Amino acid sequence: MTDPLYVQTLDLACGAFLLTGVLVLWRRDLAAIIWLFALQGVALGALIAVRGLHEADVELTVLGLGVGLLRAVLLPYLMRRALAAGEEGREARPHVSVAASLLVTAVLTMIAYAVSQPLVRLAPTPATQAVPIALTVLLVGFFVLVTRRRALSQVVGFLLMDNAITAAAFLTTTGVPLVVELGVSLDVLLAVLALQVLTTRMRAAFGGTDLDELRELHD
Amino acid sequence: MVLQLLVVAAGAPLLVGLMRQIRARLEGRAGAGVRQPWRDLRKLVRKEAIAPHGTGWLFRAAPPLLAGTTLVVAAAVPLVTADSPLDGVADLFAVAALLALGSVALALGGLDTGTAFGGMGASREMTVLALVEPTILLAVFALSIRVGTTDLGAIVIATASSPLSLISPVSLLAAVALAVVTIAESGRIPVDNPSTHLELTMIHEAMILEYAGPDLALIEWASAMRLTVMLGLFAGLFAPFGIATAGAGPIALLVAVVAFAVKVALLGGVLAAGEVFMAKLRLFRIPELLAGSFLMALLAVAASFFLA
Amino acid sequence: MTLYAWALGLCLAAALVALLPTRAPAVLRPTGAPAAGGAVAERVRAATPTVGAITVVGGAVTAAAGALAAVAGVRAMLGHGWSAWLPDLLPLGGVRLALDPLGGLFTAVTGGVTVCAAIHGIGSGPARATRVVVPLFVAALLLVPAADGVGAFLFGWELMAMTSLLLVLAEHRERPSVRKAALWYAVMTHLGLVTILCGLCYLAAGAVGDGFDQLRVAELSPAARNVIFLTTLAGFAAKAGIVPLHVWLPRAYPAAPGHVSPLMSGAMVNMGVYGVVRVGLDLLRGGPVWWWWIVLALGALSALYGVLHAAMATDLKRLLGYSSTENMGLVLIGVGAAGFFAADGAGPLAALALTAALLHVVNHAAFKTLLFQAAGSVQRATGTRDLDALGGLRTRMPYTTALFAIGALCASALPPGNGFVSEWLLLQSLIHALPASGVAGAVTMPLAVGAIALTAGLAVATFVKAFGVGFLARPRGPGAERAAESPRTAIYGMALAAAACLFLALNPTLVLPALTEAVTEVIPAGRPVTGEVTLRLTTITGSISPILIALALAGAMVAVPALVGAVATRRVRRAARLWDCGAGPVSARMEYTATSFAEPLQRVFVDALQPESAIDVTAVKESAYLVRRVRFRARVPDRVERRLYEPVLAAAVRLGTGARRLADGSVHRYLSYGFYALTGVLIVLAVIS
Repeated sequence: MTDPLYVQTLDLACGAFLLTGVLVLWRRDLAAIIWLFALQGVALGALIAVRGLHEADVELTVLGLGVGLLRAVLLPYLMRRALAAGEEGREARPHVSVAASLLVTAVLTMIAYAVSQPLVRLAPTPATQAVPIALTVLLVGFFVLVTRRRALSQVVGFLLMDNAITAAAFLTTTGVPLVVELGVSLDVLLAVLALQVLTTRMRAAFGGTDLDELRELHD
Repeated sequence: MVLQLLVVAAGAPLLVGLMRQIRARLEGRAGAGVRQPWRDLRKLVRKEAIAPHGTGWLFRAAPPLLAGTTLVVAAAVPLVTADSPLDGVADLFAVAALLALGSVALALGGLDTGTAFGGMGASREMTVLALVEPTILLAVFALSIRVGTTDLGAIVIATASSPLSLISPVSLLAAVALAVVTIAESGRIPVDNPSTHLELTMIHEAMILEYAGPDLALIEWASAMRLTVMLGLFAGLFAPFGIATAGAGPIALLVAVVAFAVKVALLGGVLAAGEVFMAKLRLFRIPELLAGSFLMALLAVAASFFLA
Repeated sequence: MTLYAWALGLCLAAALVALLPTRAPAVLRPTGAPAAGGAVAERVRAATPTVGAITVVGGAVTAAAGALAAVAGVRAMLGHGWSAWLPDLLPLGGVRLALDPLGGLFTAVTGGVTVCAAIHGIGSGPARATRVVVPLFVAALLLVPAADGVGAFLFGWELMAMTSLLLVLAEHRERPSVRKAALWYAVMTHLGLVTILCGLCYLAAGAVGDGFDQLRVAELSPAARNVIFLTTLAGFAAKAGIVPLHVWLPRAYPAAPGHVSPLMSGAMVNMGVYGVVRVGLDLLRGGPVWWWWIVLALGALSALYGVLHAAMATDLKRLLGYSSTENMGLVLIGVGAAGFFAADGAGPLAALALTAALLHVVNHAAFKTLLFQAAGSVQRATGTRDLDALGGLRTRMPYTTALFAIGALCASALPPGNGFVSEWLLLQSLIHALPASGVAGAVTMPLAVGAIALTAGLAVATFVKAFGVGFLARPRGPGAERAAESPRTAIYGMALAAAACLFLALNPTLVLPALTEAVTEVIPAGRPVTGEVTLRLTTITGSISPILIALALAGAMVAVPALVGAVATRRVRRAARLWDCGAGPVSARMEYTATSFAEPLQRVFVDALQPESAIDVTAVKESAYLVRRVRFRARVPDRVERRLYEPVLAAAVRLGTGARRLADGSVHRYLSYGFYALTGVLIVLAVIS
């Protein structure tokens, strides 16, 4: 893979990764959010695969494809099933209004950029320069966890953070060992399954998946 | 430049006609034909002008002012040729401000009537305008970083000479942001519905409710030109192919005109087809849309130094 | 020098003229005057001038003083500066005066505003106290930028604060709300004075004398410089109406008489900017980057906050007051960016940003003078400032309407207005910052551009509201219905300001070279802008030509109606009814008011504004289901005031009521306080020694 082409495709993958992460905050429709998450999985897989192709590392390329499959197909499939079982498909009233959360994201982006500069300066390559993007998505994921009400949004927020961590790992190093990545992915899968169980139980108990209802358990 | 003005002035109603025709066909109607807007204009010009009770000079000055700003913008932006005599007179900021001036003129015309419709349209138009402005300026910012200037001709020439730079996150994000802005500024679905006359949904139509005859023709014509100029500008910024440069011969100019017509028609067709499948947003959902486009523009700026 | 001295002298002369004894106008002479000594009294009476004559002479003299000051300022900007030391005028350091290009710029602006305001004031028949104090206020305004020492500066500053306070109080008999406004203003302006006093005295303590030349070479520790900058910044920000110290501004402007608010808004708030530039960039020679971050952030906050409240305001003068906060915020963004670039080593960009900021000061002075004069005229003609009750002034006050339209166009930063040029320069300086300044610039500049852009958009909405709702359509209140055109002098004053606006809008290239002198005095980095017809930036590629844009617009405006006229077959306009949905004639009650115009924006920014509304439903006595009256009240309170000031004020009141118990009226108790204190001090002294 030639250098300019590599840089361009890598940048494009990073751009798509960021865009999908941010759009999760924009949409209220949970089905659309799952779609966006799947697209982000594709972008993440492409990102890893591009790095693998550039460094002629077969294992990395295959890993990219695997990660892509897991995050673009399997996890969205699970979530879609959870959504189909549920009754309401919209994030009707988030704690922070959509417009405001988009503006907050703008500030988060700037913070991520400022914070990650020392990291970039360690080894300024095209890949490390995209670290701020991973960090932004991490913050966005956290923000989703903080402000959204539906259990499924929480899952997506959590997975966004995980995507971001994976992306950061692959951008800064030539990749984590396969075993570690497998372990992490399995963890994620388990977490999603656990959350799915939680969603089902919540729906049985409260008739909805609004996390604010959990407050009742406090008393 | 004269050629460019003529192309825009003559082609704008045709573009509107084309978009209406596409919508009609997609909705299963026969449609009135591409030249219908020109026929409408001819009919309107022959009617007598009306001075509604209690309106004054501002009401009468608004349509020419709207048309005037649009004409100046059409002369200043690189649509057919990047070599305009007005180059260096107005840059991207000035173009955005001139378009805003046109909207302001119309809003004041609406307010001058003193009807609730006029006030409502003006109020909504100004709300949308105020929220659109940050996106425009930040998108300009993002586009100017690579070239180092906000001069439109320079941006277009630089992009045309290195088309590969278009496939970058910066360009893509800025394109998305500017697309939303273009839709909002030209009053298309999902921000405003150009064919509605229901008071709950009107923005643009509410302001011009009192105009009739030649005044209305002027407004319709100017609105069509605004749409054309904005689509042309969008095409010029993100697909500057075929635009004639300084000292181009007549054949190059002809190619440029054809390329411009094709690009704008294509964009208009996409817009019209998209409108068939979309509903108008609630007025108070529009800020979300515009905040999103603002974020895109900011990300475009950020990406240009993230990935630099 | 002589010109400047003449200007000050004329101010004093105008004040003295206003002090002359006056006689009542002849028509009001009591008919049954006592006969004894009648002839002498009659001769004395004939020799004393009428109120009208005094007003004309005083106004003319003040205007002449303003014109001289403007010329003196421009001469200083072109390099004919001077300095003087009057050692005996004030104790300690004496009075040091000097007019350099920077001071000259602010003197010139003050002079220009004075000319317009004084001419406007002639026709409005101000009260005697106002007539006396206005020239003194002008003198103070001229003194501040010409001061070349701490003593003279503080003297001028205090004189400015006192005279402006008297002017704010001038109409306290007519309107009770004035007293509260004056109280706010007095407290804020004097707290500001205290911080400036502390900061400058600390600075002077570290130098060998109180002259500015000596202060420039003072050796100070970084910590001391930080303290000096922050304390003076607080004081200057209070004067410039910067959030969160802006609370006095939307109160004081409506309270001041019609021709005084232009002086306050066009000339006095500038002094805050002058102070920041003089102390921060000149005396302290710049500083660390974080100083200018603070300035920039304060500017962005003020711009957004000011314009949001201006967009919500229904009181015309309050709207203009908040708009001053907004514009000073924009100026501070420019000043902050200039300091930021200078600290970063990017000299040319810094010069460009400061040029933009100073040009905006000039532009703001021009259009705000015009707008406040118009607002004063409207208030006098209609008796109200409430936009909801105005409307329909287009036919009743045609000149004022047209002139206000020019001012509104300039204030909303649209071409061909003058505000557009300075905002264009400001944006250019910000968007070209990226490659030069590292992370900090990359994070700050996009946000600053976003803030400016949102401000610009909201400013457009604000002034469309002010002009469209206030002047167009049909009158919505009795005041607007019987309005009549303002006196001729008022129109002349406004027309002068409008001419200045248009000149600045079309020929900024003529003003910028002189302005550059003021900039290079603080940031020596060559001329950032060149060009005669077209404005060209020297260090970055960028150009614009306001005059050609205006000409093109004018040409199109002529060509388009001509074209339509050539095609149209019927020339005569037919009068017709407004579309009323077939439900009878449209009444003024159906019009959109300022409140309803701003309602969509209020809903969009509901999180930032937190408006309050209350609905009282009064039912008839017999049944709770039959409603007799529904009353709806809505207002947009100033959040800073609510969150920051009211708790402090409440705490002060509590402290005061608590302390009241100490004073119960018994003399013995008061004496015993003194006794206990004395013995206590003695005991402490005994223990220490």
